[in-house]
Amino acid sequence: MFKLNLKIAWRNLWKNKGYTLINVLGLSIGMASCILIFIFIRYQMSFDEGFKDQDRIYRMVSSWDYSDGNQFYSQGVPIPITPAVRDDFSPYIEKVSAIQNSGGIVKVNDQHGKEKVKSIENVFYVEPDFFEIFNYKWLSGNYESLKEPNHAVLSKEMAKKFFGNWNDALGKTINYDGNLNYIITGIIDDVPENNSVPLRIMLSYKSLKDRNLNNWGSVSSASESYFKLKRGIKIETLSEPLRLFIKKYYTEKAPGKEGHIFQPLADIHYNERFGNFSGRIMPKKQLYGLMVIGLFLILTASINFINLATAQAVSRSKEVGVRKVMGSQRGQLVTQFLTETFIIVLISLLIASVLTEIALPSMQNLFNAKISFSFFQHPIILVFMFVLVVCVSLIAGFYPAVIMSGFNPALAIKNKISANTGGLGLRKVLVVVQFAITITLIIGTLVILQQMKFIREQPLGFNPTAIAMVDLPNDSLTVERFNRFKAQLKQLPGVEEVSFCRTAPSSQNNNGSSFAYNNSKDADFQVNAKNADEDFLKTFDLKLIAGRNLSKSDSTNEFIVNETLLKRLNVAKPADALGKMISLGGQKKPIVGVVQDFKNKSLHESIDPIIVCSRIERYYYAAVKLNAKQMMTTMKSVEQVWKSNFPEFVYNESFLNDDINNFYQGEKIMGTLFKVFAGTIIFISFIGLFGLISFVAAQRTKEVAIRKVLGASTIELVRMLNGSFLIMVFIANLVAWPLAYLFISKWLSGFAYRIDISIWPFALAMVISMAITLITVSIRSYKAAAANTIDALKYE
Amino acid sequence: MIQLNNIEKYYANKGIKNYVLRLVTTTIKKGEFVSIMGPSGAGKSTLLNIIGMLEEPTYGTYEFLGEDVTSLNERKRIERYRNHIGFVFQAYHLIDEMTVYENIEAPLLYKKVGSAERASRIADLLDRFNIVAKKDLFPNQLSGGQQQLVGIARALAAQPSIILADEPTGNLQSAQAEEIMTLFKKLNQEDGITIIQVTHSEKNAQYGNRILHIADGVVKEDITVA
Repeated sequence: MFKLNLKIAWRNLWKNKGYTLINVLGLSIGMASCILIFIFIRYQMSFDEGFKDQDRIYRMVSSWDYSDGNQFYSQGVPIPITPAVRDDFSPYIEKVSAIQNSGGIVKVNDQHGKEKVKSIENVFYVEPDFFEIFNYKWLSGNYESLKEPNHAVLSKEMAKKFFGNWNDALGKTINYDGNLNYIITGIIDDVPENNSVPLRIMLSYKSLKDRNLNNWGSVSSASESYFKLKRGIKIETLSEPLRLFIKKYYTEKAPGKEGHIFQPLADIHYNERFGNFSGRIMPKKQLYGLMVIGLFLILTASINFINLATAQAVSRSKEVGVRKVMGSQRGQLVTQFLTETFIIVLISLLIASVLTEIALPSMQNLFNAKISFSFFQHPIILVFMFVLVVCVSLIAGFYPAVIMSGFNPALAIKNKISANTGGLGLRKVLVVVQFAITITLIIGTLVILQQMKFIREQPLGFNPTAIAMVDLPNDSLTVERFNRFKAQLKQLPGVEEVSFCRTAPSSQNNNGSSFAYNNSKDADFQVNAKNADEDFLKTFDLKLIAGRNLSKSDSTNEFIVNETLLKRLNVAKPADALGKMISLGGQKKPIVGVVQDFKNKSLHESIDPIIVCSRIERYYYAAVKLNAKQMMTTMKSVEQVWKSNFPEFVYNESFLNDDINNFYQGEKIMGTLFKVFAGTIIFISFIGLFGLISFVAAQRTKEVAIRKVLGASTIELVRMLNGSFLIMVFIANLVAWPLAYLFISKWLSGFAYRIDISIWPFALAMVISMAITLITVSIRSYKAAAANTIDALKYE
Repeated sequence: MIQLNNIEKYYANKGIKNYVLRLVTTTIKKGEFVSIMGPSGAGKSTLLNIIGMLEEPTYGTYEFLGEDVTSLNERKRIERYRNHIGFVFQAYHLIDEMTVYENIEAPLLYKKVGSAERASRIADLLDRFNIVAKKDLFPNQLSGGQQQLVGIARALAAQPSIILADEPTGNLQSAQAEEIMTLFKKLNQEDGITIIQVTHSEKNAQYGNRILHIADGVVKEDITVA
């Protein structure tokens, strides 16, 4: 029976090649998108998985509440917190470990003492307890040695990079940051990419030298702390001890009220408030968004199927009737029709797999993630595909099967089942649903593109073009060479300006410090201090609106402030602030200038109060303004000059424009995704529409012929056939508008600088959808209307 | 075998009853070959549909093989289709996607006949109707007469006790029609299968042994053919 069903199904599909093609095309594209989304989500959900007792692992993170209602969060903790937690929380936690991120130059010498490797690497100072919390796979050696200073553990990859073969690495030494040698005492297996702590080089925590080792008032995102709860202890039981803990250690008065949060390991990859060492964060919200899009895709393709199947049902009514009088039960007919659906879905799955494979590289590119479509690595994908096939078969196949199997045999045999049975009403509703989804996505895409354009064209308050940010090695020795280096740079042809600074005006690297204005007590908000030399304003084309530029100095003698700072301090006229004193970091100096506001963060956030002052020990970048016409050649000479000045360091450069664009990586991905998926859904919807109009045209051939004989013109007939479709798409527009409005207003509220929602994306989506509908439908209906009348009438 | 008592069928339209059948009472015994005749719209097909349980009468009772089947649930009705009734249609109604062989096989599959038994029965039918050579062809590759032969073979496959035929020769040329009617007569006489057919043709009616004349939903004449 099943074999026969298969055979019949195959012949039926072959007979209706056109509809089969539309179904297979729609379903395979929809399924391919779903599979892609699934493997991406699977990859994202796999972060930080697989550790022993992972439910008991937590990260301690920090928060500050300000009196003005602002909150500030950090993934980091004060460095002395880890030993304090170890003592004070010992009844609750099994192990706690600090981990400190740092970066610098690693050098490896060969056996003759000649320099073999020199590269900038990311390193972690870790306590041995870290490996009691996270059970990494050890290839050789152990973490005991990390109890002592000057030991290091490498990942297999790093060991291979430094020593050629990881087996040879044990006992050898590497040099980090110029002054210390570390003995390799352990090798761990490579930590997979889907990990929030990308361990590659691990150094003894005891070797860490940091000026904040005992400072409770300073938090850097580079210092994290992890702990593992004791078995059977609930995390809630720690809240009271934590309150006491905070009271005990935070004795100094600070503008922000300190707090700490125990963040579960499973939350680290998803929580936007806190960063992590890998820099990969995927808010769950976005994953849900993707899931919804995936669902939409499958729904759209399934709707095509349902519509075409119920439309075609009439032509199969005779078969249903005959089978029924031969003794077929309804259930058997349902099975038969579901078998047909199943075959289509299965064929679509095969094509979808091929499409997935084709689309995967661009997907990897877009997300910059190593996602793979391998059943052997991830059998769960196979399970997903199975579930997908079953679900789609049921969603798409069940309703038509029930309708068709329900035909009354007496009517069916006499061909009295009219074209409208099988839910003409439902078909219309489904088309409206399908197009409402499509139009929502069109509107969403238009708004996202518009907002991205808006951000690109938003005045930053400075000019970021043709500025190279070159790393500046900053220690007591190199500072001496700054003046010579700057002078040499300025002499290079093609270099227009040079400024040494802590960060560019707009940067993801921001800090907050308490300060006092005009002899009053500390302000209730913090200021973002940007250290820079006297060329900062000129290089970045920042505008002074009052006072003068900083004069040349290596230390802080005077301040420049921005408009926002004055607004926050309720100073109405910029000129009024000139000459007033500001106390910052123990320095009390006058304000000499007011700079026009510039965007110091991504446009998700508003502008901070900012102070600019000189301080040579904090210059980490040389900002080089280039002549745009000869950038590449100039950068080569910049590199040469740099290398001659800092031979013991590794050169690194980036362009400010690229850095700023990187702020919007998430939006860029979102925009691309929307473009691609909206395109896909539009395509699926319209081939479905084409299928439906083909069917309607075929159904009404006779009617069209008769009307023609009665004197209707081709245009009139096309209009008649098109009418209902245009109305359906119009209604879909009305349904989509409020949905789209909700969605985009929610999305836009995430930006501090955003476009106003206007009628245009909505109107444009309407025009687009109506126009495509008109074209799609007209192609087919024109053919029907222009067909030879005699053939149609003779046919009956 | 079939006992119809006061069968009525009407369609109510805006409160007006349009009668299709009125007080039809008749008995059809096993082994009879009955032709139902009458002008268009007389209710012939409706009567046949009621006998075939495709429609339910609005009033009256119907006994089939001694059981009241006036309104049966689907399961029981299907059970009768599988074992007792074979349908033959004017437009043949073969399933286009199935070959001749598969068309004949279909009712046996629904009846869950074993595969060896199936094969032998089909071979037998193909042989009997001289369509062995056509068994792998699809319906649209056959002439009308050949399609109707397949239709009858399919109706016979399940070995029914009664065949209901709604104008079985209506779409056929006279030579082919004659062949089909001869076949019916043979089935009736040699195999003892009860046949009820609806026909317009007086000539075809003569093949049977009883004619029911219907006009305006009423049985006007019940003639036994010599």
